[in-house]
Amino acid sequence: MTDQNAVEVAELTKTFGGVHAVERVSMKVPVGQRRALIGPNGAGKTTLFNCITGSMRPSAGRIFLFGKDVTEMPEHQRTVMGVGRTYQITNVFLKLSVMENVLLAIQGTTRQKWIPHRSVENFSESIARATEELNRVGLAPRASVSVRYLSYGERRQLELALALASRPRLLLLDEPASGLSPAERQRIAEIIAQLPRHITVILIEHDMSVAFGLADQVAVLHRGRVILEGTPDEIRANPEVREVYLGKV
Amino acid sequence: MNWALQALNGISLGALLFLMASGFTLIFGLARVVNMAHGAFYLLGGYFGLTVLRATGNFWLALLIGGVSIIVISYFIERYLIRRTGENHLAQVLLTVGIVYVLADIALSIWGGDSLSLPPPAFARGPIDLPGGIVYPRYRFLLIVFGIFIGILLWLLYNRTQIGAIVRAGVDDREMVNAMGINIDRLFALVFALAAFLAGMSGVAGGAFLALYPGAEWEILVLALVVVIVGGLGSLEGAMVGSLIVGLVDAYGRWLLPQFSHFVVFGPMAILLLFRPKGLFGREA
Amino acid sequence: MGRLGWLFLIVALLVAVLVPQFLGSFWISLVIQIMVFGLLALSVDLLLGHTGIFPLGHAAFFAMAAYTTAILQVRYAQPTLLAAPAGLAAAVILAIIYGLAVRTSGVYFILVTMAMGHIVWGVSVTWASFTNGDNGIGNVPFPALGSLAIGNLSSYYYLVLAVVVACAFGYRALTRSPFGLTLRGIRESDSRMRALGYNVGAHKYAAFVLSGALAGMAGILYIYFNRFVSPPTASLHVSVEAALMVIVGGTGTVIGPFIGSAIILGLRNYVSGYLVNWMTLMGVVFIATVLWAPDGVLGLMRRFRAQLGMGPARSGSRMMVAGKGEDTT
Repeated sequence: MTDQNAVEVAELTKTFGGVHAVERVSMKVPVGQRRALIGPNGAGKTTLFNCITGSMRPSAGRIFLFGKDVTEMPEHQRTVMGVGRTYQITNVFLKLSVMENVLLAIQGTTRQKWIPHRSVENFSESIARATEELNRVGLAPRASVSVRYLSYGERRQLELALALASRPRLLLLDEPASGLSPAERQRIAEIIAQLPRHITVILIEHDMSVAFGLADQVAVLHRGRVILEGTPDEIRANPEVREVYLGKV
Repeated sequence: MNWALQALNGISLGALLFLMASGFTLIFGLARVVNMAHGAFYLLGGYFGLTVLRATGNFWLALLIGGVSIIVISYFIERYLIRRTGENHLAQVLLTVGIVYVLADIALSIWGGDSLSLPPPAFARGPIDLPGGIVYPRYRFLLIVFGIFIGILLWLLYNRTQIGAIVRAGVDDREMVNAMGINIDRLFALVFALAAFLAGMSGVAGGAFLALYPGAEWEILVLALVVVIVGGLGSLEGAMVGSLIVGLVDAYGRWLLPQFSHFVVFGPMAILLLFRPKGLFGREA
Repeated sequence: MGRLGWLFLIVALLVAVLVPQFLGSFWISLVIQIMVFGLLALSVDLLLGHTGIFPLGHAAFFAMAAYTTAILQVRYAQPTLLAAPAGLAAAVILAIIYGLAVRTSGVYFILVTMAMGHIVWGVSVTWASFTNGDNGIGNVPFPALGSLAIGNLSSYYYLVLAVVVACAFGYRALTRSPFGLTLRGIRESDSRMRALGYNVGAHKYAAFVLSGALAGMAGILYIYFNRFVSPPTASLHVSVEAALMVIVGGTGTVIGPFIGSAIILGLRNYVSGYLVNWMTLMGVVFIATVLWAPDGVLGLMRRFRAQLGMGPARSGSRMMVAGKGEDTT
């Protein structure tokens, strides 16, 4: 169990029509590692996430979560296994309140979601947990507000809270800091850094300081392939990476 | 023998359904519009054609006027009502259902509640002798021919002409077509007009063997919808294949299980839902 | 629901209780219909306002229950205590089968449910040997519930009132429960819910069956009121009208469908006395509601209150807003 990889993808490929969004990617992320995925836009990072979480089916290859082959497993079952995820484009429930958003995230992996007779307000345990999560991201005072009225930065915080609420073992964060002010960015980075060490985190980020500050290992994607893997220092020193970003390739 | 006869019944109904469904499915594919009034277009087109036929005795003129009258009506409805719903399908459904109520009520006041039928043109009356010793109503047989003809025409238009290519591109990616400088509004208008014409014309064609009566606008709409569900919204091939399947299933259903014929139509739909919730040729969007 | 809302409700219930004491059978009939069709509209709203899917064939469950109960009581002389539950069971079984529809989404779901509803109508017409076709089934007696004697319209009125209020409270509990919250999450975003661990298909299916059961309940209340059932009971008009009641009243609430029912039935009763072309008027109401009052009466009230500075213009659903589902309030 301790030698298990949180995520393992083998020869993963995803094509859309003629486009190879992800091409024969093989990667292993050990439990507890903090891994950053970097690469220019269109490199296939989000698509890779989608295949891992199950919102997209790969064209070829296999996916393993905690040693189990989940390639055929539907998305919601993977979440129950312990996967949490944030989205590049904020994907929260606009017409519901902040509290309701987090409650949905908490309920999602429990039997509670099927209970049809007792009011949600009576589930004090869930509400307490939700409040805890909201406190962690600093949104507790806004609990009863409809998400429509939240600022962009607040919505990003909620996005993170939703991912954390179900106490995942594996966290996939897709540009959690994008579009945020420096102060907000800092806050997000702190929250991620303070997560318990048994949680495996894979992070897609364009902000190098956030990515390199948090990561144990970095993988560079370009045109659907992993072209480089190493520690942040190794990656930083590598000239090929710069070329990839500046568009020489 | 009866099997062949029923097959012909099914195919002729399928031909009629194709005329209805093809327009409906193309409008959805291109403009993302769900137009429940399509059935009312059928009925009104038929009624207009009937009036023209009674006045002039010319079936071809009736067909033409039946189609053209609906182009006019459809234009106003689309321009001033449907357009205001954007891509909200729920709103479109309710709006167009409301329009059907209005149109049907007006039709009722003008043409009354009795079941009316259009006499087919002289050359299409009576029986026709087909190979295999089958004797079949000439009109229905010609309808099959007509349906195939329109089908081929539409297919050629859609797949082999430049305008068809633009429509296909528009079905695929509307923003792109717009960005290429093509006037998407005019394209819409064209497709809407074509669909309207087909619907109105099929009212005349259908009225000659199915009769026109209050309620027919819903009956034909539901059948056309099953065609579109089975074939897949936005697909011309789907409309072709779907009409054939639904026509045949309906014909055999009426013959073998007359008390449950409506239920039999459910069959292909249910099986499809299990395996392909978006229809045989349905698009991912 | 605020204090004002509760006050309004209590007054409404008080009025409802007093109707048979002071008003004649025309009004008693009308209010029974408002309650029965309001319940049908409520069943539609469970899917439309809470789950975010639009069923256009609920008359099927309504009529299925009505026909089953009618046939059992009239043709097989079964007692109410058997016929009514059997009617409900029939509606539920149909919903279990028709629930297949939730495998589709968006427009397809609307069209599929419409076709499914039409099929029940068709069978009620063509299977004349069993359903009596267009002649319908009549002479359904008043319900006999053991020691409870329902001998006239007034007594039945109170039975309907009791059942509808009970259903409404049950429905309210459901919408405030975790299951209800789940449905609202699905309404907002299928895909996000899946990512959060929900088996969206299973929840939609459960909601569909519950909705069908509620519609069946309305059907049973209907048959003992009307004491006659025929194919028009299963027609598209009934399904469409139920949806319109939901929209006119305002989706996502318990009281909305009943408000809508009152408005539509009130309008119809009032207008059909004067206007031959009242169907045209219905059509115009549809069109006007869609174009100018997509949030229904409750939405209009909300916006009005917001303009007066009495609270935010929060709306419960975005279903009917024109454009690509944007929120405009």
